[in-house]
Amino acid sequence: MTITTPQSETELVVLPGRGKGRRRTTDAAPRRSGLLQFGHWWWALPGILLVLAIHYVATAAGGVFAFTNWSGIGAFDWIGVDNFVKIFQDPSKLLALWNTLFLAFGSVILVNVIGLAIALGLNRGLKTRYALRVLFFMPVVLSPLAVSYIWKFIFDFNGPLNTFLRAIGLDSLTKAWTGDPTFAIWTILIVIVWQQTGFAMVIYMAGLAGVPVEIEEAAAIDGANLMQRFWHVTLPAIRPAVAIATTLGLVNGLRIFDQIMALTGTGPAGATATLATEVYKQAFTLGNFGYGAALALVLTAIILVFAVIQQRVTRSNPED
Amino acid sequence: MSGIQSTYVQIRHIAVMLREQQAAPEPPTTKSERLDMTQQRRSRIVRTGILAATTAGALILAGCSGSTGGGSTDTQKDTNEFSLAFGISNDVTTGYQLLAEQYMEENPDVTITINALPGETYAQTIRTQLQSGNASDVFVSSPGTGQAFSVVTLAEAGLVEPLGDTATSLIPSGSEAQFIVDGKTYGQALDIAFVGNVFNTTPGIEYPADFTGILDTCKSVAADGKSLFVVAGSVGANAGIMAQTIAATRVYAETPDWDAQRVAGEVTFADTQGWKDTLEAIVDMYDAGCFQAGVEGAGFDAITNGLTQGTSISMFGPSGTATEINKAADGHANFVVEAFPAAKTSDKQFAIASSTYAYSIAANSKNKVAAQKFLDWMAEPEQSKSFADDQGTLPVSGLDELDLTGTVYEPVEDVLKSGDYLPIPNSSWPNAAVYDALGAGVQGLFTGQKTVDQVLADMDAAWG
Repeated sequence: MTITTPQSETELVVLPGRGKGRRRTTDAAPRRSGLLQFGHWWWALPGILLVLAIHYVATAAGGVFAFTNWSGIGAFDWIGVDNFVKIFQDPSKLLALWNTLFLAFGSVILVNVIGLAIALGLNRGLKTRYALRVLFFMPVVLSPLAVSYIWKFIFDFNGPLNTFLRAIGLDSLTKAWTGDPTFAIWTILIVIVWQQTGFAMVIYMAGLAGVPVEIEEAAAIDGANLMQRFWHVTLPAIRPAVAIATTLGLVNGLRIFDQIMALTGTGPAGATATLATEVYKQAFTLGNFGYGAALALVLTAIILVFAVIQQRVTRSNPED
Repeated sequence: MSGIQSTYVQIRHIAVMLREQQAAPEPPTTKSERLDMTQQRRSRIVRTGILAATTAGALILAGCSGSTGGGSTDTQKDTNEFSLAFGISNDVTTGYQLLAEQYMEENPDVTITINALPGETYAQTIRTQLQSGNASDVFVSSPGTGQAFSVVTLAEAGLVEPLGDTATSLIPSGSEAQFIVDGKTYGQALDIAFVGNVFNTTPGIEYPADFTGILDTCKSVAADGKSLFVVAGSVGANAGIMAQTIAATRVYAETPDWDAQRVAGEVTFADTQGWKDTLEAIVDMYDAGCFQAGVEGAGFDAITNGLTQGTSISMFGPSGTATEINKAADGHANFVVEAFPAAKTSDKQFAIASSTYAYSIAANSKNKVAAQKFLDWMAEPEQSKSFADDQGTLPVSGLDELDLTGTVYEPVEDVLKSGDYLPIPNSSWPNAAVYDALGAGVQGLFTGQKTVDQVLADMDAAWG
């Protein structure tokens, strides 16, 4: 093994794998006189410090309030983990936790299944596929609030949905959809799925564009039917797309806020509250800043845990 | 935001709707109404969101270094200038601005910098500004506790300046605890608002005199496909106003100091029969068809639509609404103010009336002398009257001598003159969570998610 002394720490960072074999060292030699010579990792220090100070330290400082009873004004006391005990003893907060997970996983599953189905359908062949892609993607670019208010109107007691039900003689099914303890959460899920499916569709279409037609044809010649081709050829080929679409979907799903505030305002009687809406309500509406910070910390922890799990499940190479 | 404030935002809406209706003889299309509502609400939520984000940063940066102090009025000179902050909900010029302009006309050497802030985020903005020491010298505050810009809350945090005897003399009877902390007055009441039913007399229905009458009238109105009341069931503030209006007769008529007893821990919501009666009355009214269909999911737009289209006859809210709607309807509808009836005609009639807003001076203001002079001028009966007229409320002084015949207040003249009223109860509750529990609880009663006892237990739990 050739022993090479790194010229600078930058090289250690930007040239990984040095010293693994002969070829590497000879490769690296001409680069030494290149631009990298000028770069030192500590040049990024001001930027790194700013990011740390503004992004991480400020957030962490906010997290500190989770262990206080600060009301957002005046003095506060340290109360340890009381806020967290209170969260997990309060049925309404557990309901909010359940709603958070329901909306996140419900939207991820529906958005990705429907988005993938549409992407497959519009991938090749269909003549109108360009127009249809635009149509399906359109909701994504709209403001979630604007979309939610249109849907709130649709779900309104005197809105089009109930008018339609009455018109076809289903009067018994009419109800105040966003004010119904059972259906209110579903109205939110429908709006989210309606709006976000186009986004998943675009990611899957990008993934599908990279699947070589030849392999599919080869599989077809080998006698694989449509389902087999999908499961064994297409799906493995678009694993990175699945990983991205589900990660983004899950993280966004756990943070859903606008749609709930616009459609139900967390009602009826808190039936559609999530951790995100509870954070807002406690910290900014009710002035329980410490308690709100504790809820935010719980939400952060949940997002972190599920993002890590989800990354492990969907990574392309299990040996990574 | 308290019920009254939210409803005030709504008043402007109803007024706009009615003006539109007048301009075009045909009823407004549903689409345009919706767009109007959507824009207003969207901007409110967006603004609240932006504020939430910026406030989060500001809170962290400010830490708990709440700035207090500033010199006392005695050591300051008259600077002949000061700034004035108030909340606005749309482009309509409010009494705050009109009177400030009048003051500048009468005193040409005085300059007032007017800061009209978005009404929806006013409370948070003022609180943040006070904490960081850059609030306007004079600003609109809310009597009592429980809100971000409440007089007592701000006084206890040392963010507002004690005011003189004039302010003390203007405090409406029964509202002392909402203005005074440790013997000093921190807010100057601007007007008196009555909270009850805003009732349309045009359909020719007589306002019931007792609760049985309410239920009977509800049934007969419902038989015509209309509703006696329209309530924004999904908006806690409106549902809460209704509950408090009813509670005035069931709880506070017999025990005006109920809140003080609750603070002392002598009573609870759950063990007070009056509160049970209040919520049971709401359930009875729901069963009798008193509310518009779909009340459990209704927003403020339901009130706007119900009252303008005539499908509902009455709403719960502040008296200013009646004046506003009448102004806009220009004779097409006649709304008056009614007090919700007691259970029986023999029971004592009792209602809610108090100052909705006050003026306070920031503790670190450098223009206290000029600011105090302005407040003294505002306290004069002439200004008090013109402010109240603009707001559709009652002047803060000289109420006893005022002749209310022919005004929207005629039906409640006796209640007002006899002093059988108290400030809106939630303004003296210790935190906003209690009122939130009441509002959400009423919606839960509509949907069957909660029982009367559960709602009251939630309120006790929120009391802390």
